[in-house]
Amino acid sequence: MACLSYQTAGLSSSTTTRAVLAPMCHRRNRASTVVVGASSRKRGLRRLNAVAETAAMEAVELKKGIAELYDESSGLWENIWGDHMHHGYYDPDADVSVSIPDHRAAQIRMIDEVLRFAGISEEPPTRIPKNLVDVGCGIGGSSRYLASKYGANAKGITLSPVQAERANALAAAQGLANQASFQVADALDQPFPDGEFDLVWSMESGEHMPDKAKFVNELVRVAAPGATIIIVTWCHRDLGASEKTLKPDEKSLLDRICNSFYLPAWCSTADYLKLLESHSLEDIKAEDWSPYVAPFWPAVIRSALTWKGFTSLLLTGIKTIKGALVMPLMIQGFKKDLIKYSVITCRKPE
Amino acid sequence: MRLLTHNMLSSNIKGVTNGFPLRIEIEKVVEKPVDFNPEFLRNMFPKIEWKALVNAARSMGYVELPEEVEPSTLYSEDFLRKFHHALLELHLEEGALVCPETGRRFPVSKGIPNMLLHEDEV
Repeated sequence: MACLSYQTAGLSSSTTTRAVLAPMCHRRNRASTVVVGASSRKRGLRRLNAVAETAAMEAVELKKGIAELYDESSGLWENIWGDHMHHGYYDPDADVSVSIPDHRAAQIRMIDEVLRFAGISEEPPTRIPKNLVDVGCGIGGSSRYLASKYGANAKGITLSPVQAERANALAAAQGLANQASFQVADALDQPFPDGEFDLVWSMESGEHMPDKAKFVNELVRVAAPGATIIIVTWCHRDLGASEKTLKPDEKSLLDRICNSFYLPAWCSTADYLKLLESHSLEDIKAEDWSPYVAPFWPAVIRSALTWKGFTSLLLTGIKTIKGALVMPLMIQGFKKDLIKYSVITCRKPE
Repeated sequence: MRLLTHNMLSSNIKGVTNGFPLRIEIEKVVEKPVDFNPEFLRNMFPKIEWKALVNAARSMGYVELPEEVEPSTLYSEDFLRKFHHALLELHLEEGALVCPETGRRFPVSKGIPNMLLHEDEV
């Protein structure tokens, strides 16, 4: 099996996590400037303050961009792909020219495989959630699936009012209105009291978070004692022992993807593990599932090139079109072992 | 937004020590029927902040919920129907949720609360 498992014992948590706080990709170099001496320290502080202000401004623009991208594109995605906005899980030797219904089945399988990885099972009943939060819920596919599967209550949050409305409508249509509800809120400032949920679920939303430390803080805060936390997210490859940053061509590939998908700077799986370790969480583990998602982007591109896909794309808007144009870059990123599909889980102590 | 959701929302504005429960400002309340499921209600009950639900229902015009609930009450159909109605069938379509400490209004539009904080509130 080609997937990479991480052992958390022995991972140093002393490394600074400031590296993961950079806002947009192209600002990263400036944020990592080293400052020495009194007068240059003052200049450095001014520069850091300027970067912090820029970061705050950019966070506002980023959130707006994310909301607008999904307001604009969710309908089109749902039309062709259905209500799950994440990668499917495929056997590595699967025939890649499968139909859209097969891809939708793969998306459901992804949820099931992730649950299994996190140690949640029905036979025997282990850590079955009753109250879950779906952080970055899209149009609520995961929430409704989990609510229905476990008879659980699900709360979803998204920056997109269009998505929240659609998610609530779908819940009502599926008879799940009393189990799944969706609101507009920020994953970095979740509108829930501490310790509210026994499953904290983030399925491919982490990539949008400009402040990974704050994102993880909130996931941990709203988790109840004993809760399971699951993060499925796109990361870049871990840096080697002597590496401080990615290579220039790697950075420029990610920058282009960032700009079109409204992503802030990427981090690595190792960065996430360090953050989780700093919260004294238990059973922290991660795997690289890139081999299991390989057919996904080619399938999305093919769906965009069908007559229905193409005409619908032209009718949505410039943000969606820009997003569609960088899809081949995702394939490139996976092929270069630069982009990783990372599945991360842990438990909050009782 | 139904009261089940309201019961789990809080204001996390910087500096606020107790942002729960949010006060409800009503512009439009709608009643939407939902299938009655006693088992679901009994399972939800331990997770509900009861006083907050009673007060929220009152502010929406529904005064039938008892202040106190004993374990045996959870098996009374009469009680469960009232609990069901308040928790799941009353919707705030238009209005606002108000932070109990700062008075900041979070708008509710088309039944969806917008809990996004402004830059100076984080």
